[in-house]
Formats: sequence, C-alpha cells, structure tokens
Amino acid sequence: MLRMMAGVGGALMLTAGLAQAQDGNALLGMSWDEIVETARGGEVNVFMWGGADNINAYVSDYVGGLLEEDYDIALNRVPLTDTAEAVNIVLGEVEAGAAAGAVDMIWINGENFRTMKQADLAWCGYVDKLPNAALVNFDNPAIANDFGTPVDGCEVPWSRVQFAFAHDTARTPEPPRAIPELLAWAAANPGRFTYPAPPDFTGAAFVRHVFTHVAGGADALVGPFDQAKFDEVAERTWDILNELEPHLWREGRTYPTSITQLQQMFANQEVDLFFTYDPAEVGTAVVNGIFPETARSYGLSDGTLANTNYMVIPVNAANKAAALVLQNLLLSGEAQLEKAQPEIWGAATVIEPDRASEKVQAGFAALERHPSVVSIEELGQAALPELQADWTSAIEDGWIANVGN
Amino acid sequence: MIGRGHPWASLAPALCVIAVLFGGGLALGLAGSFGAGRGGGWSFEAWIAVLSEGRVWRSLALSLWIALASTALACGLGLGAALLLRRSFPGQGLARLLFQINLTIPHAVGALGILWLLSQSGFLARLAGGAGLIDGPARFPALTQDHFAIGIIAHYVWKEVPFIGLILLANMHSLGDDPEAAARSHGATPFAAMRLVLLPLLMPALIRAGAIVFAFSFGAWEVPVLLGQSAPPALPVLAWQRFTDPDLAARPEAMAIAMLIALVSALLIRAAFAGRGR
Repeated sequence: MLRMMAGVGGALMLTAGLAQAQDGNALLGMSWDEIVETARGGEVNVFMWGGADNINAYVSDYVGGLLEEDYDIALNRVPLTDTAEAVNIVLGEVEAGAAAGAVDMIWINGENFRTMKQADLAWCGYVDKLPNAALVNFDNPAIANDFGTPVDGCEVPWSRVQFAFAHDTARTPEPPRAIPELLAWAAANPGRFTYPAPPDFTGAAFVRHVFTHVAGGADALVGPFDQAKFDEVAERTWDILNELEPHLWREGRTYPTSITQLQQMFANQEVDLFFTYDPAEVGTAVVNGIFPETARSYGLSDGTLANTNYMVIPVNAANKAAALVLQNLLLSGEAQLEKAQPEIWGAATVIEPDRASEKVQAGFAALERHPSVVSIEELGQAALPELQADWTSAIEDGWIANVGN
Repeated sequence: MIGRGHPWASLAPALCVIAVLFGGGLALGLAGSFGAGRGGGWSFEAWIAVLSEGRVWRSLALSLWIALASTALACGLGLGAALLLRRSFPGQGLARLLFQINLTIPHAVGALGILWLLSQSGFLARLAGGAGLIDGPARFPALTQDHFAIGIIAHYVWKEVPFIGLILLANMHSLGDDPEAAARSHGATPFAAMRLVLLPLLMPALIRAGAIVFAFSFGAWEVPVLLGQSAPPALPVLAWQRFTDPDLAARPEAMAIAMLIALVSALLIRAAFAGRGR
C-alpha cells in the first residue's frame, strides 16, 4: 500500500523558510511538557502515500485540526505515490550534509524502513518520551518487527493491515479460499484472474502468498534470508506461476502494472477476483459505487499476510519537537478510534483498547464494519507474518527475471 | 535595456536558467550513474550492469519503436492536416480551433482518455458489446497494455499531430504563396509545385518539430506507465522503477538508464539534422 507508482511534484517546495534543525539529543533531555512548549506554534511536514481520499482527509482535517487547535502546530501533508520518493529526498539531503531536512515524518514500512535504518536515516530512541506509547504493546512481535526488521525504537506503529481477497457474490458465488484452490480455479476459468506485476507492492504480496504456500507455510521462511532455501522454493514457485500464465488475463502475455489497474479491471468485470492489503478499501469502493453492493472481501483458509505500518522521523528532520507531538497524537485512543470508524477509514488499531479510557474502549466495542469488509477477527484467525525484507526483494527480483519477462 | 547590450549579455538570464536547471540536472545524473554508493568513489559498475542486462535492451527497443512510429505518424498526419487547413474555406477558423484544442490537455489526462476509449472494458468495447459483436471484454482486441504499444502510439499521435500541424502552418504563413505561385507560372502542376517547392522549404521546420516529438515520446514516463505492458517496460518506466527501488544500490543504475535515454535521444536527433545538412 505504501508503494505506488506515479510522479511527485512540488515536494521540495516546502523546504523554503526552514528553521535550524532541532537537536534530537537536546529534545530527549527534556520533559514531555517542555517538548510540547518547544513545538508550539511550529509546523510539521508529513510525507505519505496520497492515493486514498479518505486517508488524506483523516490526516489533513481530523489530525491536522486537532494539532492546530490544541498545539497551534500546522500540519503540511505532502502526498506521495511511492514512499521511496520521500526516502530519496532524505537520502539526498543527508548525503549533501543538509542539517535541516524538508521531511519531518514519513508513513512507512518494510523495505523502505529497512533502507532508512541501514543508512542511519531514521531518528531513534524517542518512543519512551511519548505518553501515549503506554497504550501500545511493544512486546507484540507483530509490532516489534517491521517485515522482520527489528523496530528498535526507530519508528512508531500507526495501523495494522491484513491481506484479503474480494469477489462479487453475484458473479462468482464460490471463490477459491486457499492458494492451491486459487491456482486450480484460475486454470478452470481462463482469462478471469491476474495479478499486478511486481515491483507493484500488492502484486509482490500475492507472489509471496504463492511462495509461502510452496515452502509449506510461513514457519519455513521465518528468520534471516537463506539462499539455499530460497533457491529450492523459488524454482518450484516460478514453475507453478509459469504454468499458470497461459490461463491468466491476456494469456499472461502481460500483467497489470498497478493495483489500481487491477481494481478497475475487477470493477469493469474483466477479471473475477481482486485482492488488497487493506480490506477496508473494498467497503470504500462499494460506498463510492466503483464495486457493486454484492462485492465481499474474504480471507484464505491457509492464511494471508499481515503487517504493521509505521511513522518514522528522519534523522535530519527540521521540526522534531512538532513531529513528536504528532506521533503522540496519532497514537491517542481517540485518534486511533476515529481511524477505525468504517466511514472514516476502517483501519485496524495498533493500541491495546483496554489500556485506553473507558470511552475509547466503548467506542472500539461498538465499531460497525461495512458489510463488504471481512471482519478483522475472521481474517486474524489465519494471519501469516511478513517475510524479512531480504526475502521480499529476492522474491521480487526472481519473479521479474523468471516469470515476468 | 534588453536588446541593447551584447547578445550574450541579453541571453545570460535565459542561459543561466538552462545551464543551472538543465545542465546541473544532467551533470548530477551523470555523476550519480558513476557513483559507487554512499561511501563515495567512482565506478563503472552501474553502466556495466545496465548495458549487460537483456531487459534494458528490450526496453530500449520498445522505446525506439514507440518514438519512431509516433514521430513518423504524427509528422505525416500533421503535414497533411496543415496542407488542408492552409486553404481558406468557410468555417476555417472553427476547424483550426478544433484542430489545436487538445494541445492544452496534459499527457496523463490524454492517456487516461485513451484508456477509457480503447481498453478492453472501454467505450469502444462497450459499444461492440452492446451491438452484440463481442460477448466479453476479452474478445475485444487488445489496444492498450499491448505488445505493439498501440495505445501509447495512438496517444502520442493524437497529441502531437496538432503540434506538428501548427508549426508547419506558421511556417507556411511566413513563406507565403510566392514560391509555389512562381513554380505554377513556370508550368508546374499544383502537386508538383507542392512536392518540389513547398515540401523542401518546409523540411527544416518538419525535422525540428519531429525531433521535439521524438525526444518527448522517447523519454516521457507518464504515458507508457498508464498504457504500457508489464514487460518489457518502456525505458523511462524502467529507470523510474530502479529509482524507486528500496535497494539503494539500484540508484546508480536508474541514473545510468536515464543518461542512456538522453544519449540515444541526442545522437539520433543529431543524426537527423546531419542527414538534412548533406
């Protein structure tokens, strides 16, 4: 979800009029109240994937409104189509020795976080300062590891998502509910299934499901990259996907190049199955009239991948104090509950509701989901951990070299 | 004071902008393609990797096909349209307006229009389905995301024919009717006057306009990313994929591909002008 294709313009326009970068060490020596006073009256530049209007509105209007009202801080949301663009900006600035960077916060996970951590581009060690961090269970392995990379206090969790498939009950009453069934279904229904070509984020996640199935389950792939294991599983995976190819849309001669294209093809009845890393998107598409009322998202009996997404503060952020205040606000029970409302976004929370106020607990208990969206509980019964970033890059490159050419 | 000083002094502001923004970007890109990563140092690794990769050459061939076919078709149709529109006829003003109206439409919007018109679930496919000619989207011929890049070329031709046409119309206007009239008075047929007198006079403008169309359609990213197939991608799409690869080691390769695009484009346009000059 955080990696989408297209151009970005004007991102650097916001660099004008920067103050000196705030010294992170000095902030870490302050009390929370002192940090808030330092941040007051400032601004914070948040770079995030901007492809969904409801998410943009939640951040700009709801979160931005609270930040302005309570702290007199202006939130500038800079839309990206690919999170790597923001990482590139930070990398360029740090290489050029720019102390006061344009980017104060990035919505991130997976390979991009690993890149930032490896290149020392992420500011670390501030999480204990955030009062609302107490609401999060940092011992949960699904939160302590971002695609297998230990978080180590270098980013703060924001939402949980789990991969789900979708079908139209009117058109395809009995969709395949496991990866082997899906492969057989695609062969029996030529031209009615396809997946976006990696490096598309969601397409690559679909390939990881097949890869995990071939490996005999996620347990076989836990841990650091293992070349021998990869070679063994990869060869069989490419064989399966190459055998599947003639049964795909356009006989597999080409693949959709983005998840947006697959969404349009499902809406236009060119294919019968859709999948997404954010099942709430299916409800949004029904509300917007893109998908029919009879569209439903569902999980697989052999499990679907789940991951957490985070907010990271770059090491050279110019407005670190304001970024800390924003991190704390994003983690508050009220902001997490608002984000979980189906008509706002429907994003699964990263906090433990029973650690929040009674009002927030009651709110989470009363959440209603869109009828087209599979319940988190149902999906969560079979959740697969994401593979480490070395695995995901190797699988992407391997697909491009062996299947997608 | 503009126009009074030495020409170089008058040109300085414009040249500075070009030198800093264009030259600077080119120089940084070139440096990036020889970069060995964050540690600094120089290396040919990215160039060796790019030039020895079959995918890059397939992408280059696709981009050359797209650019050459788009330029040839746009030049031919643009020339024809300009010859028709230069005569005066009732409604000529309206015809010229309609002819140039799509110059203002951004490429990405035009590409989406092509998608809605030509894709297998697009307007034409729905018409064909409604008329009972096809019984499903897959029966409609693949005109977008297709092997021959028909959708991409259709977009560039649609967008660039008015551009070529307008440049030629302006050129014909400044030439006036005299050269052709002189040929006619010496007994040339209208067709011979056009072919032997007007066309050679128009050639320099046509080659210049064609070079602009070629450079754009060879190097632009937004149209092939919307209308292109997944493999091979057009060369600019491949460069973008490398640039947004989370692996930092792919950055120099992205720069090398971008420089390759600039180099091939410059060489071919140079060759076109040189061929004209002989």
